[in-house]
Amino acid sequence: MPEQPLKIMVIDDENIVGKRLKPALEKTGDIVETFEDGEKALARFNEDPFDIVITDIRMEKIDGIEILERILATSGRTKVIIITGYATVETAREALSKGAFDFIAKPFKPSDLRAVIERASKEPRP
Amino acid sequence: MHILEKLKKISRREPEIRAFCIQTIRFKKFLENARALLDLFKDGREKAVEDYIFDRHYVVTLIDSVVERLGMMVYDACVLVPKNGEELYAGYDRLKLAAGNLIDADASAGKSAGVAASGSTDPEYRLLSNALRWFNGKDAPEPETVMGFMKQAFLHVIALDAAEGLASDAATEDQALFENSGVKATDMGLYLIDLWKDALTPPDKNRATSDFNSVPLKHLLMDATCRDAKTGAINIQNDPDWVAAVTEYQLSLHSLKPDFQFRLETLASGYEQSDFIFIFAGKSTSLSELLPSGFHIETTDYGQFAWSLDISAKIIEDSLMIIGRRLFSKSARRLQ
Repeated sequence: MPEQPLKIMVIDDENIVGKRLKPALEKTGDIVETFEDGEKALARFNEDPFDIVITDIRMEKIDGIEILERILATSGRTKVIIITGYATVETAREALSKGAFDFIAKPFKPSDLRAVIERASKEPRP
Repeated sequence: MHILEKLKKISRREPEIRAFCIQTIRFKKFLENARALLDLFKDGREKAVEDYIFDRHYVVTLIDSVVERLGMMVYDACVLVPKNGEELYAGYDRLKLAAGNLIDADASAGKSAGVAASGSTDPEYRLLSNALRWFNGKDAPEPETVMGFMKQAFLHVIALDAAEGLASDAATEDQALFENSGVKATDMGLYLIDLWKDALTPPDKNRATSDFNSVPLKHLLMDATCRDAKTGAINIQNDPDWVAAVTEYQLSLHSLKPDFQFRLETLASGYEQSDFIFIFAGKSTSLSELLPSGFHIETTDYGQFAWSLDISAKIIEDSLMIIGRRLFSKSARRLQ
């Protein structure tokens, strides 16, 4: 039986990230929606939850840690993957301690992110 | 020797040996900064060529890192050769300004501002493409690229004096300094300096190569012909024409021959990311005959640079054995 496509949300206020990630992640048949505005992304999530949320940490209106907290408060089954160009041990520790599934430093290859998504999709959901 | 005479001798030679050691250590810092710049270029190229996702922050940080590291390299160059400081800082300021213009121009440009080498019109990818051209673009005028400026800095530090005909004087002065400083090897025709110990306290007597615990020196001399093939006696030159300054993992080898420009620097710590071999040689030296494969060689009007980076300890040791054999064996004298 073919696997269900994953619903993946990408949030990054740098337009280029969503623009490049969307076609790369859709290659495997998953459904990808991209957002530059965290509030709009959360509103969309509340309408219809996603399996995977990939979010940048440092954004102007709402940061990735707040998005992480609000998503996990809404949907326990969603896996949140943090991406950041300002990778430090402290930010990684904070994100993981607040329930992020994994943490990837920019720049990265789509295949690296794909590997994390696959792990996240296989992990049993509570 | 009377104690006062001994003290007088030490006080005269101590600052000179110390200055030589400090210059050698500073040159290593200079090379480390040059290496860090090459690593930054490599990182940028990799992100441009391979299928990476990056944002503007990455490219701006990369350009800023190059500017910062280049500043450190210029500082080292000015410590080593103060007389060239003004010219080097003027060149550095031009490149710094170009970096600022690169970032500002791209920020204000629209989608129509051009395409990256990869064909992308995305501003981030175009900015990286322009940055790579600024680093080392083959089609950019060399003096306007970071790589061109790095070569210029190298020439200021190690080659330009030679081109101006000052090398023979410097070599003679160095030879006189070493001759009177207790650093003549007792078993080979070279002067040997312990970079840390001798900088603090000049040695009381000449020492043998075996008295030095230096991994690169040991390998450099492993196959060197310093014994007579028939008698087995050690061949010792009265006037050594090499100086080797060492630590446990570092070797800085200089030729003192006025007509043979050669300098080798290596770090063989076993930590691949920082180990390297760097060589500068005059134009007439055949580096292809001297060096094993795997070296990157750049030729300039004043001399040749060769380097090998990111190499294992085993490759460094093997390379040093080959170089030592070819440099010091009698049959290889034609290289010099």
